Amino acid sequence: MTFQNAFEWQIALYLFLAGMGAGAILSSVILEFYNPTLYKSYIKSAGIVGMPLVSIGCLFLLIDLGQGLWKPWLLIRLFFNPTSAITWGTAILTVFIIYSTIYALYHWGVIKSGGGTLTKIILIIFSIGTAGYTAVLLGVLKAIPFWHQTSLPILFIISATSTGISITVIVQKIFLKDEVDLKKVESGHFYLLVLEIFLLMGFILIAFSGVPEMVYSVKSLLFGLYSLYFWLFLLLLGLIIPTIVFGLLEFKNFHFGNKTIILVEFLVVMGGFFLRYLIIHAGVFTEKFISYIGG
Amino acid sequence: MNEKYLMVYVVNRCIDCKACMIACKVQWNVPSDHFRTNIDEKYIQTPGTKKKIFLPSQCNHCDNAPCVSVCPTKASHKRKDGIVHIDKTICIGCKYCIPSCPYNARFYNEEDGTADKCTFCLGRIQFGEEPACVRTCISKTRIFGNINDPTSDVSKVIEEAKKEKRKIFRLREDIGTEPNIYYIV
Repeated sequence: MTFQNAFEWQIALYLFLAGMGAGAILSSVILEFYNPTLYKSYIKSAGIVGMPLVSIGCLFLLIDLGQGLWKPWLLIRLFFNPTSAITWGTAILTVFIIYSTIYALYHWGVIKSGGGTLTKIILIIFSIGTAGYTAVLLGVLKAIPFWHQTSLPILFIISATSTGISITVIVQKIFLKDEVDLKKVESGHFYLLVLEIFLLMGFILIAFSGVPEMVYSVKSLLFGLYSLYFWLFLLLLGLIIPTIVFGLLEFKNFHFGNKTIILVEFLVVMGGFFLRYLIIHAGVFTEKFISYIGG
Repeated sequence: MNEKYLMVYVVNRCIDCKACMIACKVQWNVPSDHFRTNIDEKYIQTPGTKKKIFLPSQCNHCDNAPCVSVCPTKASHKRKDGIVHIDKTICIGCKYCIPSCPYNARFYNEEDGTADKCTFCLGRIQFGEEPACVRTCISKTRIFGNINDPTSDVSKVIEEAKKEKRKIFRLREDIGTEPNIYYIV
């Protein structure tokens, strides 16, 4: 079996950053509907990270390009093929970047209008679109059976929201230094992480009982080449430890200092990167010679 | 009627000399580390015997090509003569077509920053020449031609194989790509 090697860390980083930026805006818009005054500093932090993260992600996508990098006028052609997931993504990203910029400028008081309900609804749709599309991009390729699973977009949307919350909380605590009560956010984050663990388990279990190429991908994650990254960086540090910490906050009323919370949020962010890095690298091409029954 | 080009491999004839791989590489100056065509070795096990066979492969110039539908710039396109071609002047090198191919027939050409693969030797067949791999194949494993012309070599070979009830198959017909390379056993 052959691992795909066209997509490398640059693409993983792009999927991760785009998802995280979209997740930050998504969580912020939802919290704004809930209580705009209480979460003012959270919304401001999401404004700082949302559009820039997605844009930096796109930058990695550009760096990974070949001829398009030194002939940038060709990039207009990204909109040319309606059957390509990249064309869908370019359209989604364009709308997301425009509206998340308006949203950030509005909440930082640079512009006086533009943060209304319509912008928020558009942002909800297009932030879910951005996070989900990063998985659809991989999922539509039936040549890589491990990616060709319906649960992948759901997994990526949940992970994007989770990492988006984390990066927003980190920025809020470090730069805005606003001691606002984030109890509800952390409790929501706990359930998102639990959901992500179950989704990941389902994703792995379904692949493990799938076609041989899928089994090969899963084995490379669980016992093979990528097992250290999978068990240590993704599962233990990126998902289980943060879930335990947020679980203690949720059910046992533990109190953790700001430094601990920032560290745990950082672990969630790291886990989000490894999720994409590992799924990309575990992609194995479908076998082309299965129909040969020779004599 | 339009031409529709395809290739036939009479696989039992292949001796794994790899002349096709080299001819292609030399003809088109394919970058090091990459080949536009490959020969895979497979073992067929029957009770008491183990037989090694050689299976060539390259771009299948599919009628329903995933690389064409995923290419955002339409640089990868299907020509009227059946060839899946990459317009190198507009390919941006996003690499998305590479993992989209179920036959792993594409690679990234670092030298020109674009996707690369077999062209059915478009630059030769336009001038009435055979593709380089076909021209060089010493065992006549590879046969190329226009399937819409009943007098062409490919039409004759496929017709003959059907009459002799030999096994004819294409790679991964189950995934609906409608490939245009026929394997005759």
